[in-house]
Amino acid sequence: MSFEPRILGIACNWCTYTGADLAGTTRLHYPQNVRVVRVMCSSRINPSFIFRAFQLGADGVLVGGCHPGDCHYNTGNLYARRRLATTKKILEFAGLEPGRLRVEWISASEGNKFAEVVEAFTTQIKNLGPQTKLKIPQ
Amino acid sequence: MSRIGVFVCHCGLNIAKTVRVSELAEFAATLPDVVIARDYKFMCSTPGQEMIQHDIKEYNLDRVIVTACSPLMHEKTFRKVIENAGLNQYLLTIVNIREQVSWVTSDVEEGTAKSKALLNGAVYRARLLAPLTSRVIDVNPDVMVIGAGIAGIQAALELANTGKKVYLVEKNSTIGGHMAQFDKTFPTLDCSACILTPKMDNVLQHKNITMLTYCEVTEVKGYVGNFDITIKQKARYVDHSKCNACLACTEKCPGKGVSEWDESLVKRKAIYIPFPQAVPQKPIIDKNSCTFFLKGKCRLCEKVCEQKAIDFEQQDTFIDVKVGAIIVAIGFDLMDTKPLVQYGYGKYPGVYNSLEVERLFNSAGPTAGKVTLRDGKEPKSIAILHCIGSRDKNYSEHCSRVCCMYSLKFAHLFKEKTSADVYQLYIDMRAAGKGYEEFYNRLSEENVKFIRGKGARVTESTEEPGRLIVEAEDTITSKFMKIPVDMVVLSPAIVPRAESRDIARLLNLSTDKQGFFMERHPKLAPLSTMSEGIFIAGVCQGPKDIPDTVAQALGAAAEALTIVVNDKMELEATTAMVNPASCCGCQNCVRVCPYGAPAFNYEKRVSEINEALCKGCGLCASVCPSSAIIARHFTNDQILAEMEGLMEF
Amino acid sequence: MTDFKKIEEKLKTEAKRLLESGEVTVVLCYGKGFDESHPMPYAAKAVADVDNIVFNEYCNYNMARYLVRYPQGTKIAIAVKAADSRAVIVLIQEEKVKRENLVILGIPVQGMKNPKTGEVIDSKTTCGMNNPVLFDILLGEEVHGPKVASPYDVLAEYEKMDKDVRWEFWVKELDKCIRCYACRKACPMCYCDPCFIDQSKPKWADKAPQSAGNMMYHLTRFHHLAGRCIDCGECSRACPVDIPLYLFHKKVAKDCEEMFNQQAGMSMDDKLVLVNFRVEDSDKILE
Repeated sequence: MSFEPRILGIACNWCTYTGADLAGTTRLHYPQNVRVVRVMCSSRINPSFIFRAFQLGADGVLVGGCHPGDCHYNTGNLYARRRLATTKKILEFAGLEPGRLRVEWISASEGNKFAEVVEAFTTQIKNLGPQTKLKIPQ
Repeated sequence: MSRIGVFVCHCGLNIAKTVRVSELAEFAATLPDVVIARDYKFMCSTPGQEMIQHDIKEYNLDRVIVTACSPLMHEKTFRKVIENAGLNQYLLTIVNIREQVSWVTSDVEEGTAKSKALLNGAVYRARLLAPLTSRVIDVNPDVMVIGAGIAGIQAALELANTGKKVYLVEKNSTIGGHMAQFDKTFPTLDCSACILTPKMDNVLQHKNITMLTYCEVTEVKGYVGNFDITIKQKARYVDHSKCNACLACTEKCPGKGVSEWDESLVKRKAIYIPFPQAVPQKPIIDKNSCTFFLKGKCRLCEKVCEQKAIDFEQQDTFIDVKVGAIIVAIGFDLMDTKPLVQYGYGKYPGVYNSLEVERLFNSAGPTAGKVTLRDGKEPKSIAILHCIGSRDKNYSEHCSRVCCMYSLKFAHLFKEKTSADVYQLYIDMRAAGKGYEEFYNRLSEENVKFIRGKGARVTESTEEPGRLIVEAEDTITSKFMKIPVDMVVLSPAIVPRAESRDIARLLNLSTDKQGFFMERHPKLAPLSTMSEGIFIAGVCQGPKDIPDTVAQALGAAAEALTIVVNDKMELEATTAMVNPASCCGCQNCVRVCPYGAPAFNYEKRVSEINEALCKGCGLCASVCPSSAIIARHFTNDQILAEMEGLMEF
Repeated sequence: MTDFKKIEEKLKTEAKRLLESGEVTVVLCYGKGFDESHPMPYAAKAVADVDNIVFNEYCNYNMARYLVRYPQGTKIAIAVKAADSRAVIVLIQEEKVKRENLVILGIPVQGMKNPKTGEVIDSKTTCGMNNPVLFDILLGEEVHGPKVASPYDVLAEYEKMDKDVRWEFWVKELDKCIRCYACRKACPMCYCDPCFIDQSKPKWADKAPQSAGNMMYHLTRFHHLAGRCIDCGECSRACPVDIPLYLFHKKVAKDCEEMFNQQAGMSMDDKLVLVNFRVEDSDKILE
């Protein structure tokens, strides 16, 4: 039985979530390993959410927001970019595989980008294998 | 303990083809707190909706989960459904198993497994949902327009015509703005005053417009629907309620000041009206050029005034005004070209900027419409230089949009009024508007010498004293040119007014890199700002011509109307709130909010969020180190719970 | 070589002057402990207290941690070494204390020692700077001469490590944590009360000192201090089980410096990195 990753996706309502819906209306197919939480803005993401996601057993975390400069709330993702970058560096220094957290800017019109990113990230996580470092054993 | 109802939609075959919907409903029924779980062909149809409403009552449900298409599709629909059944509309969660599952896979196992995980996440979240009520606030029906140029005038008239009361605030003693200084407008060569002064008169006569000239905004408190504004009425030293505009005072006045209206080309009296069609027609006294204020003598105006309207004791007064929405239309300034010493503005008397030339052309201007230099002679040769300060990394990076057209206009008018040679030095010819390209083509038949090269330098001619030499490279022929002229006209960059920084501070507006006010969204919301209830129109938002300015003014009036047309407005319910017991006073939230919703209470040493300004993005909640901020409907608890549910299976 | 006795005398003189004149109501400095190598943090409030003031090579405490514990508006004099002065700057940036309410007594010093180990404290476990960045009165001569080693040199060994080995290292270290929160108490920047870890809504982690909770606490704390930690090393010296927290804080500081071109606590005009952005920020930082 091959490894089927469980990936947490966090998508901002105005851009990435809408882009994901567009991928759907366009009937683009992609692997079904990403489970999406909808938030209003990528800036809602507290870095501790990401730590918790890995503790819950997520093999990968994919964060999607508007392109910098296009945030529906003007500047939210500009803060998010800095905060997510620091989070990534912290996880890396702790020793987590760098590829497990990925941040992508996907706009509402980029349905195919969403599908491509999910496809690529799922493959990446498959190659990295199950995440066992932060996962709390059941 | 909650009582959750789960409703799984087939969406015909859209979902049912790839997700085993009945199995999904059965799975839902096994989850803790799920009291009833059903599947149905079309949940959004009338029978589907009624099914949900029936179950809410029958099973005493306090949470509803609809597992169907995207929330972006039908969240509003189902919120109304449950509200009509007596449940708060925020006790609903939508699970997207169509756009993000059944439409993006053909693998039924994968699709069903993912749907189960998503549903589980929704159940975890639903348990923690809380009812939310939108706060309803009263809305003041009046509107304030700051700036009474063409944009402000048009916006004010439009709103006044809908029956709304408008306060039109203008810092100068007359309304009209820069457009009133122009002579003719491109491309039709309409007389600017002819099209503007009727509007100015409409403003004066309109029963719904309160004109506040020679006034400045000094303080703005409150929020959308309830702005509380303090306005300073600067001392005019003339009682306008008594003055009958006979203007006898202006005839006798010995004082001399420099005419701002005529761009310092000529002097004016100390008691004056800026131009003959000024609205209001009543004069003001300029303290800095008045013999009485400077030396304590004279008072001639007072002697000749039959209405006894002169009042040297007059003080600045302050007025408080309450409005529901604000439109900012403060226009622009021309960049001061003195620092660009290579052009000799301010040094050589033959170098003018475009506004000065407008005044020369204007029949009510300092030369009664004749094109004469400062020594009274007619120029034999004129050079018009485009892009002075614009498109320039060292000054203004932006293109000022209107200069190509008005420079062409000048060329045409110079040809009409003089027999001078006219040289037009340009980088590109930007003629994008209606009739603009046609106007440009007309010019090519008028013997204007077009040189494609930016004017590099203006120097004094050593051979012919009094003449100027304009140097440039003609990039088409690759030749360096030295053109002897009598007059140089510079097209300076259009820049924001110096006051725009104060206005930005007062109204909490952002400005872009160039200093123009920033719109909420460059494409989809060009007239609103990040401050709810405050709108912008005209060149203060960015350089543009008169048609676009008027269009924006009308648009801003409509935007303002959406706020004040109702006497009550509902605020966003999914706002953020600070729990003061947990707030550590770090002020992170205050620093990051794009809307200025959190404010620090220096007495209580905690942050407080103004819900009227909060848009519910959640940034404050994520930067709060002590988890003191509750981002309603997207609380930390709710999101963490959803994540737990998503990762369980 | 730093003349500790001379600094102590100057410190006492200034403290006496400031308290006598009423310019300040409290002087945060160091006082006699149970022996020479264990001085205590000390708040001198009366002129008589000045006799208890000491300054020697074991005076490592970052007295800035006490600034927020006084009511706003209290006039405070504070003795600071290099890193401590940077902490004061961060607190001023965060409006936790006002510059005009402080008299900053700067202590340039070289050769501070760790009382537990007797080792000289240098840039391996602190910021490595010798001279205070902000001060009103300097209590000694500025230290010039030997080149200050980069405070990030000590990280080289860990950055080179295989990530799995590094992970094992951190698990081992953080498993030792007994959740005493001494690190939090020792840090001037940890003034949140309640701290996120104290909250029950949401419950970020269990109270019990187990691996998962320890990880959540420390990783989050490293993030909360990003761009704010001024590398004084006090957290690590306060830790009863000797977890090398300074290593992680240094790594985060190094990353912030690389990504955002800014060091914590160097200028009052700086904006805190994680509640700020620059339009020029690049997506490269996310790679």
